[in-house]
Amino acid sequence: MSGRSLASVMARTLLLVLPLAAVATELRVTVALADGTPLADAVVVADPASSAAVDARARRPRAVMDQRNLQFVPEILVIRTGTSVEFPNSDQVLHQVYSFSGAKKFQLSLYAGRQHDPVVFDKPGLVVLGCNIHDNMIGYIYVTDSPWFGRSDAHGAVSLDLPDGSYTVSVQHPRITDAPESLRTALTVAAVPLTHAFRLQRPLKAAPRAHGHDKRWEDY
Amino acid sequence: MRRRASLTALAGMLLLGTARAAEQSVELSLDLRLVDTATAQASFLYNGGGKLRFDDAHDGLRLGGLRLGYRGHFADTWHLYADAYAYGDHDVHAIDLTELHLDWRPVPGSALRHTVKLGAFYPAISLEHRMRGWRSPYSLTPSAINGWVGEELRTIGVEYDLEWLGQQRGRAWNLGLDAAAFGWNDPAGVIVARRGWAFSDRQTTLFGRLGQPGSGSPFGPGHGPSDGRVLFYRDLDHRAGYYAGFSADRHGILEVRALHYDNRADPTRQAPEINDGAWDTVFNSIGLRWTPDAHWTAQWQRLQGHTTINAGGAPIASTWAFAADYWLASVQAGRHRLTARTDRFWMQQRTSSFFFYNHDDGHALLLAWSFEINPRLSVIAESLRVGSTLEFRRLIGAPEDAVERQHQLGLRFEL
Repeated sequence: MSGRSLASVMARTLLLVLPLAAVATELRVTVALADGTPLADAVVVADPASSAAVDARARRPRAVMDQRNLQFVPEILVIRTGTSVEFPNSDQVLHQVYSFSGAKKFQLSLYAGRQHDPVVFDKPGLVVLGCNIHDNMIGYIYVTDSPWFGRSDAHGAVSLDLPDGSYTVSVQHPRITDAPESLRTALTVAAVPLTHAFRLQRPLKAAPRAHGHDKRWEDY
Repeated sequence: MRRRASLTALAGMLLLGTARAAEQSVELSLDLRLVDTATAQASFLYNGGGKLRFDDAHDGLRLGGLRLGYRGHFADTWHLYADAYAYGDHDVHAIDLTELHLDWRPVPGSALRHTVKLGAFYPAISLEHRMRGWRSPYSLTPSAINGWVGEELRTIGVEYDLEWLGQQRGRAWNLGLDAAAFGWNDPAGVIVARRGWAFSDRQTTLFGRLGQPGSGSPFGPGHGPSDGRVLFYRDLDHRAGYYAGFSADRHGILEVRALHYDNRADPTRQAPEINDGAWDTVFNSIGLRWTPDAHWTAQWQRLQGHTTINAGGAPIASTWAFAADYWLASVQAGRHRLTARTDRFWMQQRTSSFFFYNHDDGHALLLAWSFEINPRLSVIAESLRVGSTLEFRRLIGAPEDAVERQHQLGLRFEL
């Protein structure tokens, strides 16, 4: 490739990328319990006030919900509507994954390894996963129409790069007991980086206990 | 020629389809023990008044059990379970089934799930037994209650289980109801009436016997504590027994199980061919398991009931009341687990058609440490002390009171 044509490609790329980069503003959200302890794995979603702001053609990457040591990994997954999710079984025992949630009813017949095609989650909502062989396995998939979402890290923080505009930012987690209206806030993003802190008022539900971790375990 | 090729292709597709639809596995588990016992009593398994599986004459290197397991899953809905054990202690068969059942368990389409079990299996009563083959991860020797369940109880019939999967709906609890109708458990009760409670992980196999033939009783064969009873799971009166149970599970943190059992045996029915009769046995059991965090587990269980026999239509039926409970605390730290358990047990003959009233009263303390070397090999060290007063011992010329101690070092292989 000549130097001239290389410069031309770079210029075209910059022209394409710069306008997008110029309007993306960071929104940093933190989620903490009433005593200030950060809450990890909270799902944070920024829903734009105008649906026109959402690029419906955006590529939906594949996501993975693994099964390891008789648990779903990750326990909580957040994806955009239309995303395909693979359910590999990394255990030495068979699993039979199912959900009867309204947002996605499905079942994967007993399997090991990667025997099943990915499942497309085509409606927004919460999908609770179970295993018909191991009742203590419960997983959660949050499906959202918005392309702007994340899951809080160990510090309870999520960073979202948002185009300027108005949003409703919400927090969800299967063990939060606060009223949903207290977990939503309206924000306007306008070029200046923003931060918002959610502080829960009520204690979390208790986390479930895993029973056993390999094929020797079978409760009588 | 073309037709044959088509048929071959079709057969191949069917075979492939069958293989894909059925997932099967065969498992082998080996449990070896080094046993040191300090007791003046011969084990009840050898017609003595002892409450331990092993006695002074049967300690040293012993076979805890060799298990052959099978799990088959068919068409996503049908599950076949089989477990067989060899104990190397001269049972009727060198290896014999302890459980064999076919479960129908469709994937739930709502929060209600139905399960039907058909075959021979344990009722959902033990909170200790959490490993395949009716094994406990906490100790080698189970509690008096669940050791007895392994000896005398088996559901040979059908069980229906209805569960409400509340946790899938964001609720705190899963709730369950189960009910079963069964036969072939009419002799259940004889051991707890004669021997009282014991501390043994020796399951009675479906076509085997409990203990060695012979008599520990001055009244002859058939009146010893276990007497090598053959065909233990036997239907003598053609009357179905039943049980009904309730379970609740709060995120696996707090679990409750309750069961009412009644074998509805006709206590006047005799079976000379097994030198026994039908024992009308009724009991209630309730248990709690609390798992406050990833390390600690606490359990409590109580079982209380009675059994009646009216041999030969005697004017007064003989009735025994029995009860036991245990507390267990266990903590896991990495690959180590420490467990402490205390048992209280009691049995009292209320009425007798004979001059003798049996009585059993005692307690036990168990400490166990286990270490998982790898997922296929683990070691358990256990110390057990049982103090008891058993009236039956007088009949075999032994003191009523006994303190028995047993130390075991077990190696568990999953082959």
